[in-house]
Formats: sequence, C-alpha cells, structure tokens
Amino acid sequence: MGGLLSYFRGLLGSREMRILILGLDGAGKTTILYRLQVGEVVTTIPTIGFNVEQVTYKNLKFQVWDLGGQTSIRPYWRCYYSNTDAIIYVVDSADKDRIGISKDELLYMLREEELAGSVLLVLANKQDIEGCLSVAEVHQALGLDALKNRTFQIFKTSATKGEGLDDAMNWLSNVLQSKK
Amino acid sequence: MYHLASGFYEMLTKKDEFNILILGLDDAGKSTFLETAKMKFTKGYKGMNLKFITTTVGLNIGEINISGVKLSFWDLGGQKELQSLWDKYYDESHGVIYVIDSNDRDRMNESKELFDRMIKNEYLSGVPLLILANKQDIVDCMGVREIKPVFQQHGHLIGRRDCLTIPTSGLTGDGVEEAIKWLTDAVKRNGILRPPKNMT
Repeated sequence: MGGLLSYFRGLLGSREMRILILGLDGAGKTTILYRLQVGEVVTTIPTIGFNVEQVTYKNLKFQVWDLGGQTSIRPYWRCYYSNTDAIIYVVDSADKDRIGISKDELLYMLREEELAGSVLLVLANKQDIEGCLSVAEVHQALGLDALKNRTFQIFKTSATKGEGLDDAMNWLSNVLQSKK
Repeated sequence: MYHLASGFYEMLTKKDEFNILILGLDDAGKSTFLETAKMKFTKGYKGMNLKFITTTVGLNIGEINISGVKLSFWDLGGQKELQSLWDKYYDESHGVIYVIDSNDRDRMNESKELFDRMIKNEYLSGVPLLILANKQDIVDCMGVREIKPVFQQHGHLIGRRDCLTIPTSGLTGDGVEEAIKWLTDAVKRNGILRPPKNMT
C-alpha cells in the first residue's frame, strides 16, 4: 500500500527524495547529516537506531535517514532499503584497519535488489586527519572498480570542517534531478 | 509450459548488448558527452544540467537503445590517479570512445601519450575506436585536421580495427548523433570477434 501511495506521489511530481546515510560506526554519518541540515557541527554520540531529518538543498527536498553503524545493528539497515533514491556511504579515510570491513558491508549492501536503482555517493570522510587515504586509495580499498552497473562518485570530505560536502551534494542533486 | 513460452519469448526479443567505454583526460568532456548522447537517444529523458557536471571520481553509466541493440556506457574519471583503474574494464568492452579537449593545446601531448598506452593494451586489441575532437564550440580550438595526425603517429598500434575521428561538441550536441551511430555499426560489425554481452 505504501508503495502504491508513493507511486502516485511520484506521478504528481512532488515526491521527496529518500536518501540513506550508511557506513561503519564512527565514520561521521550523524555529523554529516546535521552539517547538511543546520550547517553546524553538532556533538554526537554513537547512533543506536536512526536519525531522520528533512533537508532542503537547491530546491530539492530530501528525507535523509542516518542509520546506526555498529556491528550489531548493521543487519537492520536492510529494513530501510525500499524506495531509496540514493545512498550516501561514509568512510573514515583515516581508519585503515577497518576499511576492509567497510568494503564488505558496502558490497553486501549493494547486492540487495531493492537498491538496484539507487545512486551511490561515497564520502571519503575525515580528510582533515593527516596520513589518511586519498580518494583513489579509497576507491581501490573499497573495490569500487568491480561496480559496473551503477552510477557512483567519490568525494573527499571533512564533515567537522565542512569541506567537500557542497560539491558532493551538488553532484547528488544534479544526478537525482535527471532521474525525477 | 509457461516457462518454456516465456523463455522463448525472451530469447526472441532480447537485444544484443554492447559495453562502450568512455575515456580521456579529466575535463575533456566525457560526462557531458554521455549526458548529451542519453538526451538525444532517450525519449522523455530530461537529463542533468550540463553546466553543473563536475569532475568524475567514480563511474557514470548510461544506456541507449539504437537500431535494435543496447549500448551500455561506462564513463570513467580521467584524473591521473584514476587512470590506473581503466584497464579493469578493458576485457568487457566492445568499443572505446576517446575524448579530447580540442582547445587544450598544452595537454595535447599528455592526452596522446595516454591514448598510446591505452591502445597498446592487449585486452583492447581489435576493439573499435572512436576519437572525439571535442569542444568544437570553442572558437580557437584545434580542428580534426590538426588533431588527427597527432593521434596517428603510432598508427601501427591502432592496427586493423575500425577507427574514426569526429569533431563534436558535447555542450551543443553537434556531432554526437553521428558519433553514436558510427560506433553502433562498428561494434555490430566487430561482433564476430567480440560477441555481444548476452551471447557469451
């Protein structure tokens, strides 16, 4: 029933874009969400459950879901997959030890049929930390070259400094506008 | 019985599918070319605002149905550190579009060296090649007559494959249709050597 309703809303052309922010715990998902919404850095605690906010960016309305990233709650991500227009996948570029886990979670997630039509935006976050992975290194470490049937883009960001998010959102809104 | 019938129907209606790789230096106009091509060949597709297309670090995909076949495009980032990712796509590609910024005289040689390295790759041997002298909307840019000799210095690497240089402007759309049509015919012709995706 919900799917039917959103279909009709889509016909009317006023459908909000639905975006999920995913990634391992401590990657910076919640900081990014509130950076986008209020333009400030907020103090966050590890998310258990989710935060959901409406974000307006360049006349496009997004409903942004930020899901908790800890190991025990990652299995619940899939409950939120239906009708998703875009996934923002946040990576802690300084956490070299866990980038492999991040890769596995990403590939596991992208295998889901419900996400087949959604756009992927990867944020190589925490670029303000010295010695972190570059964009090309993140690309390689996440094995993104195996991804051949989906539009995706990586941006380097620093959520605490607010860098790179504008470029990333500009790209995302432009891509989503063409899909509308 | 239903499965037999539906399988048969699918077999009859299934289109041959070819993968097309779009390569070239960063800021040559690869993503803009792809968007324009999608707009020209897809009814009802609104397309992105060409002015807002940014540097690609990742992948843009696109599909075009033309003269009974389906073309699937892979548009990759052209920055130096991303060029090493290109060859991951070579053995699955049926055709390559190489885009050149005709107005960037300073980087013409860099583009040519990159081009040579690409066509030398054995996984691409025999694959039809379309070279776009792009950004022809810029008044002072180099014409095809100037660009062609630069990229044919190592003609022996191009070999016997189909290869064509066309002047285009991804921004205004000039030459885009001609380019796609030529490449479609070329990958179909080459289908004996590189059969379409659904046949392998």
